[in-house]
Amino acid sequence: MSRPDIQALVLLIAGFTIWSAAFVLLYALQALGCAYDWGAAHRPILIGAYLASLLPLAWLALRRPYDTGEPQTSLSRAALWANRAALGAGVLVYLPVTFATACI
Amino acid sequence: MSEPISPIRLHKQLERIWMTPPGIGRLSSVNHTVLGKRFMVVALSFFAIGGFLSMLIRAQLATPHSAFIGPEIYNQIFTMHGTVMMFLFAIPMFEGFVIYMLPKMLGARDMAFPRLTAYGFWCYLFGGMILIGAMLAGVAPDSGWFMYTPLSSRPYTPGINADVWLLGITFVEISAVTAAIEIFVSILKMRAPGMALTRMPLMAWYMLVTSGMMIVGFPPLILGSILLELERAFDLPFFDPTRGGDPLLWQHLFWLFGHPEVYIIFLPAAGALSTIIPVFAQRQILGYRAIIAAIVAMGFLSFGLWVHHMFTVGIPHLALAFFSAASALVAIPTAVQIFAWLGTLASGKPKWDVPMLYVFGFFFVFVIGGLTGVMLAMVPFNTQVHDTHFVVAHLHYVLVGGFVFPMLAGIYHWMPHISGRQSLYRLSVPAFWLIFAGFNLTFFQMHLTGLMGMPRRISTYPSNWGWDWLNLSSSIGGFILTMGFALVLADMVLQFRYGRFFRRDPWQAQTLEWATATPPPSYNFAAIPRIDIRADGLEPARIGPVQAGGAGYLGFAREDRQETMGVDMATGAPEHVMILPRRTYLPLWTALATASFFLAMLFGFYALAPFGALATLILFLLWPASLGQKRDQGPVDIGMGEKAPLDVECDSNVSVLANRAAIVMDATLFASLLFGGLFLLVVAPNWEGMTPLDLPLWLAGTALAAAALAGGASWLARRANGREGRGGPWLLATVLGQIAAVAMLVMLALALPEPTAHARQAVILALISYGALHCGLGGLMAGHGYWRLSQGYVSARRQTEMVLSWLWNLYAGAALVPAVGLILLLAYKGAAP
Repeated sequence: MSRPDIQALVLLIAGFTIWSAAFVLLYALQALGCAYDWGAAHRPILIGAYLASLLPLAWLALRRPYDTGEPQTSLSRAALWANRAALGAGVLVYLPVTFATACI
Repeated sequence: MSEPISPIRLHKQLERIWMTPPGIGRLSSVNHTVLGKRFMVVALSFFAIGGFLSMLIRAQLATPHSAFIGPEIYNQIFTMHGTVMMFLFAIPMFEGFVIYMLPKMLGARDMAFPRLTAYGFWCYLFGGMILIGAMLAGVAPDSGWFMYTPLSSRPYTPGINADVWLLGITFVEISAVTAAIEIFVSILKMRAPGMALTRMPLMAWYMLVTSGMMIVGFPPLILGSILLELERAFDLPFFDPTRGGDPLLWQHLFWLFGHPEVYIIFLPAAGALSTIIPVFAQRQILGYRAIIAAIVAMGFLSFGLWVHHMFTVGIPHLALAFFSAASALVAIPTAVQIFAWLGTLASGKPKWDVPMLYVFGFFFVFVIGGLTGVMLAMVPFNTQVHDTHFVVAHLHYVLVGGFVFPMLAGIYHWMPHISGRQSLYRLSVPAFWLIFAGFNLTFFQMHLTGLMGMPRRISTYPSNWGWDWLNLSSSIGGFILTMGFALVLADMVLQFRYGRFFRRDPWQAQTLEWATATPPPSYNFAAIPRIDIRADGLEPARIGPVQAGGAGYLGFAREDRQETMGVDMATGAPEHVMILPRRTYLPLWTALATASFFLAMLFGFYALAPFGALATLILFLLWPASLGQKRDQGPVDIGMGEKAPLDVECDSNVSVLANRAAIVMDATLFASLLFGGLFLLVVAPNWEGMTPLDLPLWLAGTALAAAALAGGASWLARRANGREGRGGPWLLATVLGQIAAVAMLVMLALALPEPTAHARQAVILALISYGALHCGLGGLMAGHGYWRLSQGYVSARRQTEMVLSWLWNLYAGAALVPAVGLILLLAYKGAAP
């Protein structure tokens, strides 16, 4: 993992991997909260998980790309765009945890 | 390597090594060019069958109160139309294209596992024949192409119709999962030296993401099919709500595969477009790095949409909002690609030719499909048009626009590569207009009938609801569309028979596949060129004669071996020489043995099925018998004044990478099983008032301990081998540990009370079986390693078998941890808190 080219390759999928993990986590918390009747604690838990999932996404979206050597420069620039897209997708897709009805 | 020889002599030497023999010997072919063409020909044959079925559907729906075919046959026909088009045409068609084209684009002489390619092809052919045979016998699947339970469960589909789908499709999907791993590995490890990841043509990026999606996308479907077949064959109630199962579990598992599947089909087509458009725009693609980011975004986002197929089943607003937002969002990376293609055309010097006609058709049709997709992503609208013909119109605009039009553009672009001839005839132009007009006439009307409330899958309708003329014109459009496809077929035949010969690169394309002779020789490149610039800006007409003369890497025939280059995954630096297996009948025999397993299951001969599985396993164990080296050779000459070790002496060879990918695939299937168990525990009905199970759970703990010890022993075996070239005793310890683990798990399964009584026991049985199977597999890998070690194929430098044994034993032990955890959770359900 110390090779910058391999790091850049990992960065390319890192943001959306976290996005996917957050998706699974939030969907699971929503289902578990309804099944086991978490009541008033349900929404704060969801919002907490939402905000926690955005932190690593924000860190990735702000990370400076490599500026010397190939293929890491091109890969990390593509990664930067992918990670910014992952942050945007995270903010938008999970935003309903703040207002939508969690259970039927 | 030695003194230079003439290009003709070099060609003859290489051809003798790589060629496929004539006559019956053709069945032994493992060559990617031959198998890629076979995949495409068979896929197009299934396309014709699927097209014929669609004609029957349109004939039935042309008029109200139609008595053309009864509802029973109609159910089989629309189910088979969807099944054939999705599983027997679209996926295998792009697989065939990629198998044929990818090594040539990347500068390799074949795919990573040629025998696996052949095995996948035979599985595809035999699985497809089972489905078509069942249709001819009148027992085709009839529950819709997504086989919803409980309609497809035994009480409502008592015949073998659903079993044909579950077993036939699973058999066919073997070809998809083997192809996925092979494509993934080949792209990462088998490129021309110097071709770094960021020098790859975009087609390779598209296929890298697609193969990754297939690795994690197909396992949920395979698991769902296994569970439903277990329910149908052995009454294990995974989907039966009266016994703690849930039909919605099937929908989740199916669409976890089904939605990414749409993108799995679209992305290769988009890759073809990203290759074709720059050729005719006469400039390199615009936004190379932005497109890579968009492909990655699309690949992931497509897994967050599956519930939009289930908006009406009754789920909370929050979950609806998640999936609605993600469904709308996926349009953005799609749009990035579309604007990159338009920008490439706008900023280039576009020239008009037949492939561009079909590219135009793609833009028109696919954008409409994309826009109706955004409409369907909105929950209120989706609820209104759910299960209506609007959805039929949308999916055809997306799939025909996103796959068939690019495929036709690709056929016209690359057919000269396959045939060695260019078309003299202009049938392709009227064919395009017939297809374009026929398609829009057929499917645009369905938006309207759908909005007017016409449901999908109905075989007749009344005449006074305003649907009559729309359906009639739709059927007329369908027949016009078919005439267009018939003209394309005629055009292809004429091109192969009477087309004009040409010299290299007739389109002045800039990708490496045009540097081969056309039709290509069996070895692709007499010498593998070094690539120092981006591989979509090359000069094939200059590279071609140079490589044909043997200037480049491996420009010689050595010891009758099929050699190609293995490179560093990221930089493309030469890393090792791969020796690929030569032609053999083993893949055919193995596929026949696999077919015997599936047929035994299909016809209810359950006692015979294990023999088919055992025969398949034994034949697989024979595969590596002729591979490997019995002594360390050190670096060998690779041409260009450089040396590299053989693949067996390289730690990061394709076998290790492929097994890592296979474990990811396996783990995804297992994660789907864990999800299924938890889903039933949390959501399914009839789980109230349960009491804890009386199970000897110490057996599970002992099995876990034995598997953990076996995993540790396999690690010690690898370490001992790396230091001293030994490790046999540790491998034997691994085998013993796994035998103990399997024995414990079998005893636990035998102690399980009434697995058919409730989904809880059924899930526990599935978890135990999964654990036992993987402990057995770990033991088998260790035993195989011991055998290879005793034969002299393993040393401190040649340690592939040791690594593989460690990987699978580590996975077996690791998988048992959550498996035992869920077993405990399920077994103690109902215990006092």
